[in-house]
Amino acid sequence: MSEKRKSFPLVDTTEPNLIEEIFDYSLPPRITFDGPVVEYIHGEPVRFDPAELQSRDLVITDTTFRDGQQARPPYTVDQMVRIYDLLAQLGGPNGVIRQTEFFLYTKNDRLTLDRCRELGHRYPECTGWIRAVPGDFRLVREAGLKETGMLTSSSDYHIFQKLKFKSRKECMDAYCQVVDAAFEAGVRPRCHFEDITRADIEGFVLPFAERLMRMSEEVPEELSVKIRLCDTMGFGLSFPGAALPRSVPKLIYKLNREVGVPSDRLEWHGHNDFHKVHINGVTAWLYGCNAVNTTLFGYGERTGNPPLEGAVMEYIAIRGDLCGIRTQVINELADYMRSIGFPIPDNYPFVGKYFNTTRAGIHAGGLRSDERIYNIFDTAKLLGRPPRVAITDKSGVDGVAHWINELFGLRGEERINKIKCHKVARWVMDQYEKEGRMTAISDEELEEKVRELMPEYWAKYKG
Amino acid sequence: MASVQERVIAVTARVLGLDPAKIKPEHAFTVDLGAESVQSVELVAMFEEEFGIEMDEDEALSVQTVGEAAEYIAKVCREQGVEA
Repeated sequence: MSEKRKSFPLVDTTEPNLIEEIFDYSLPPRITFDGPVVEYIHGEPVRFDPAELQSRDLVITDTTFRDGQQARPPYTVDQMVRIYDLLAQLGGPNGVIRQTEFFLYTKNDRLTLDRCRELGHRYPECTGWIRAVPGDFRLVREAGLKETGMLTSSSDYHIFQKLKFKSRKECMDAYCQVVDAAFEAGVRPRCHFEDITRADIEGFVLPFAERLMRMSEEVPEELSVKIRLCDTMGFGLSFPGAALPRSVPKLIYKLNREVGVPSDRLEWHGHNDFHKVHINGVTAWLYGCNAVNTTLFGYGERTGNPPLEGAVMEYIAIRGDLCGIRTQVINELADYMRSIGFPIPDNYPFVGKYFNTTRAGIHAGGLRSDERIYNIFDTAKLLGRPPRVAITDKSGVDGVAHWINELFGLRGEERINKIKCHKVARWVMDQYEKEGRMTAISDEELEEKVRELMPEYWAKYKG
Repeated sequence: MASVQERVIAVTARVLGLDPAKIKPEHAFTVDLGAESVQSVELVAMFEEEFGIEMDEDEALSVQTVGEAAEYIAKVCREQGVEA
């Protein structure tokens, strides 16, 4: 590797370079690449061209009702129907949120599925989720579903320690019998390669995938097997050069290019045990897997799954276009989830109470002069959430003035200057300096003080 | 009637809690008189009230010394037709 040092003379200018081709404030910042990405596989450089992301049918799939529900008490039927309806609105007419999967085992499971389909949305398509048991296809067929996921665990931890097969061959034969049963039932099987990041890739995963591809050649295209790569314990790594079985790029490469599983039949399903869940999902997109499986707000078994709303933002960032996605629905979903007792941390991206709230006076000063300085994108337009300032002793007069202008909904020339906000700012400072307060000032408290100390503005804008 | 400078000194003394006799025209509000951020804004607000004028926020807050403040306020009074 060349380590030749370079000289970097200052490029002086009086006009700011805001790099707006990437940071177009009306959208999440673009994800751009300088050229192909190179990964060394078996010692040879292999090129992956990110330009293909524009032409491939990238999609988001959802498992809020399956994996998401494995981490919480069951949703009611009405709750699931409402969430499904909002997911359909969020994903838009192009089906960016392409599919969502349902349990089929209980009467309520089947009722939910029926009521979701009665809404008449084309997307997300409804798919099932069953055990790898031939008899379960009766449920799928009776529900009138075209596709179902089925457990086909791929690591020896599962094959031997959990499922108690005597050999890998016995295991693979059993899985293939279930796949055959799916074909016979006219249902497309989606084989969930559980624990793939801890599996013997060359010894089991690739031979099994190869056999599934051969079996798929014998059935109509619409029944051909899909493969979901399940990073069950969150062991996946996105780093270039990481080794199998943990390397996400190499797993995708092996299945996609060496076995020949088409990109539109590959799906990534991750878990967040090592804080890598979102980046691993997007990495799977980059290296040739078209579908990333997600849950709303990342809520899923243990540490959760790739957050659906994060994948939505990444999708827009890759495409550079909303593609029919209605991002405002993300906050509608968050409000709904809160209303049914689903906790969302205050600092959670895009929807947390304080996700775009600053407490620092110096940041509030930046927001006053140009909100782009401290806001990730136009959160008012895309999420219905303008940037905010939380008031503490660190907020300064700038923070107080920003808060008051937000309260009155004032923009541009209409904004009240900070001189006019001095009485409220003084009250805030006295709370900490004279009263010894140690907590943030709530919106309700400050609103009351604005009413009391700025009565003429209150009458004008709130009266 | 007190001069603009005398009135500026009186307001400054009241807002910052200082003895007016010890405030000189060359004194800087922050460095010499110890005005904190919120007090600088309060000073501008009190000058507006004292003289019955509206000042540009950025211009007013960029004034450094008592003497400069008196000059700036006198100029704004003239512009706004207010007798100082």
